[in-house]
Amino acid sequence: MIATSNPAHQRRSAGFVPLAWRNLLANKPRLLRSSGGIGFAVLLMLMQLGFERAFFNASLEVIRLLDGEIFLQRASKYRFATKDPFPARDLETARAIPGVATAWPLYADWHHLFWRNPSDDKDFLVRVFAFDPDQPVLSLPELDGHPTDAGDPDTAIVDRRARRFVGMDPPPRTAALNGTKINITGSFALGPDFENDGTVVVADRTFAKLLPGPGGGPPDVELGVIKLTPGSDPTALQQAITAAVPTNIAVLTKPQLLELERKFQADVSSAGPIFAMGTLVGFIVGMLISYQIIYTDLAEQQPQYATMKAMGYRSGYLVRVVLEQAVLSALTGWVPAFLLAILLFRIVGEIALLPLRMTLELALVSLALTLGMCLISAVLAVRRVVTADPAEVF
Amino acid sequence: MRLALAWRILTHDKGRTALAVAGVFLAILLVFVQLGFFIAVPRGGMLLYDRARFDLLLASTGYEYQVQPGQFPLGLLEKARTAPDVVLAAPLYFGSAKWRSGEDGKAPDVFVIGLDPQARVFSADELNRQLVILDRPDTALVDSMTRPMFGPLTTGRVVDIDGDKVRIGGDYVLGTGFMGLGVILLSADNFAHLFPHRALGQVNLGLIQLKPGVAPDDAAAALRKLLGNGVRIFTRPELEAHETAYWTTRTSVGLLFGSGLIVSFVVGVMVVYQILATQVSRQLPQFATLKAVGYADRFLGGTVTAMALMIVLAGFFPALVAALGIYAVIRDKTLLPVEMSGTRIAAVFAATLAMAAASALLSMNTLRRADPADLFG
Repeated sequence: MIATSNPAHQRRSAGFVPLAWRNLLANKPRLLRSSGGIGFAVLLMLMQLGFERAFFNASLEVIRLLDGEIFLQRASKYRFATKDPFPARDLETARAIPGVATAWPLYADWHHLFWRNPSDDKDFLVRVFAFDPDQPVLSLPELDGHPTDAGDPDTAIVDRRARRFVGMDPPPRTAALNGTKINITGSFALGPDFENDGTVVVADRTFAKLLPGPGGGPPDVELGVIKLTPGSDPTALQQAITAAVPTNIAVLTKPQLLELERKFQADVSSAGPIFAMGTLVGFIVGMLISYQIIYTDLAEQQPQYATMKAMGYRSGYLVRVVLEQAVLSALTGWVPAFLLAILLFRIVGEIALLPLRMTLELALVSLALTLGMCLISAVLAVRRVVTADPAEVF
Repeated sequence: MRLALAWRILTHDKGRTALAVAGVFLAILLVFVQLGFFIAVPRGGMLLYDRARFDLLLASTGYEYQVQPGQFPLGLLEKARTAPDVVLAAPLYFGSAKWRSGEDGKAPDVFVIGLDPQARVFSADELNRQLVILDRPDTALVDSMTRPMFGPLTTGRVVDIDGDKVRIGGDYVLGTGFMGLGVILLSADNFAHLFPHRALGQVNLGLIQLKPGVAPDDAAAALRKLLGNGVRIFTRPELEAHETAYWTTRTSVGLLFGSGLIVSFVVGVMVVYQILATQVSRQLPQFATLKAVGYADRFLGGTVTAMALMIVLAGFFPALVAALGIYAVIRDKTLLPVEMSGTRIAAVFAATLAMAAASALLSMNTLRRADPADLFG
């Protein structure tokens, strides 16, 4: 910065980022240090936030895959992964209502079916979903094979993202469920959650054979999956169905079904507070590191700032330079942390079979937190510039 | 001298040192918390075992973990009872049922433990004495940690479990761990009544108490010979190793808190390094002067290491105190048995020293730039 008769003009022509940028680049080892320090704090936040989302998403994943708009389930069902079925006739009642295009049952079990891993003959509890193969109510991800084959008696498709010890990856040709021999005709990629290690999908007939309903008849329905005719009003139909079925049946939209599960998970598990605490620590540590960097820098540049003041630059401009520098150092920390997190999410997600994903939302939240922590510390440190006394230079 | 110099540098700029200590404090606190969970989760899975009185555990050969133990014939347990060293061989039956008297019309699943009320299987004698209530028909004892969604747990309340009317005969303090949202105790007879499809001839677990002075390992070997391969026998240390391995390797718990542990450690190193490097570069002329007057590099390195140690030690002890407080809160909120132990303190202390060493090592680079010639540049 060379003194000119009009510093304000000089400011415009130089732009204001260059000064902040130059300050940042002036000391390369320090830049590396600050980028590393802030970066690890950001990485800590990203991992905690990512784990928190993965924890909740793991149990919501299968609900999102349900191919329907309105759902019937027993009103006493307090979460998705619990067996609390209702009689099929209640679903038929709903099907008869005008505006309902289709109403198909999903059968499910979480606690009674054991899968024998053919490679070591060990038994593992698995979750089993069943439906009419011609009316697949679950849109299975990365389905490989012929789901209609699952219509043959005693055939199943399995989750290749099940935990390794269950023995579904690669899918074996045959296995056993509760002692019944099952042919495996295909696989999909869903993944386990915190309670279920593996998932098996069978046809309704196979399910009825494995777990007959009360009195040996057809099994009761775990979830009724309803699709509406195009153009019908979901809210009105939800009300109409609620009025038609017995009061012990809950009629829910997909967001309501997801919300019920999310609320249950948030109520009973401690995942939320655990990960929130980790994120907070990352934020505070990041703030301390960034404060330390900005403060040191300001202390070293104090004579320069005082000189600039003496030349006529107003404090407002200098404060802005400091804040810009804070934003830049936030970015130099965030970018590598973000890239490293994508890599870590991949690795940990594959090893732990968790739905750890970098989403736009996560990227934006972490960026906002990073900018927040750097700006707060800049504001705390900037008082030094404001009080920079030109007289001190001499 | 090194210590004195390090002390002088640190106290010269108190604000900055305070910042460093605060950062290290947080990083160490996070290490404590992540480690706490890492250990608490398997402990939570051991809750029933930790509070039961037994020397050996009999289980099915398909035993997975406490909540999924498989079944084996009662006959084997009765045979074990005939062994000379065995004082008690008590069966445990596990079942899951719908508690249809929950709040808001919900029916949460309740974990049901069936047992012989005469067998003193719990460590707490108060609970053993309470068990006589279970001899009454359809009467249950409810774990006081059962979630609020089960509704009031008042003695005398009659609840609907799987369509059966069951009276709450009282509550006890054991903890639900990972058994479920709620746990009740029933006598084996009432258990059979609630689960008509379950035959009492198949048990889930057998608790074996040995005569005083009998070595569990020897007794286990003798029982293995007596009972054959149809059943699995665990001593307590074997059981603990099995359950810990289950929770840390079979679930995501190990990876989740393990990776949190590593990242918090690295964050700690970064904080200390950050402060050290800044201090060293600010004092670079002074360090160069020291070099010029004949102090060796080792002296300067020692000073930096001493600074690192002072910072982390100043952060460690408050973090330990705060961790005790946070553990208490977690115990309260999550019902997980998060407890501080001597080994845990020692492990985190070692990690803290490693933090200091790593950051001191990183700062040596900055120190190397201390060149007496620069003084006259």
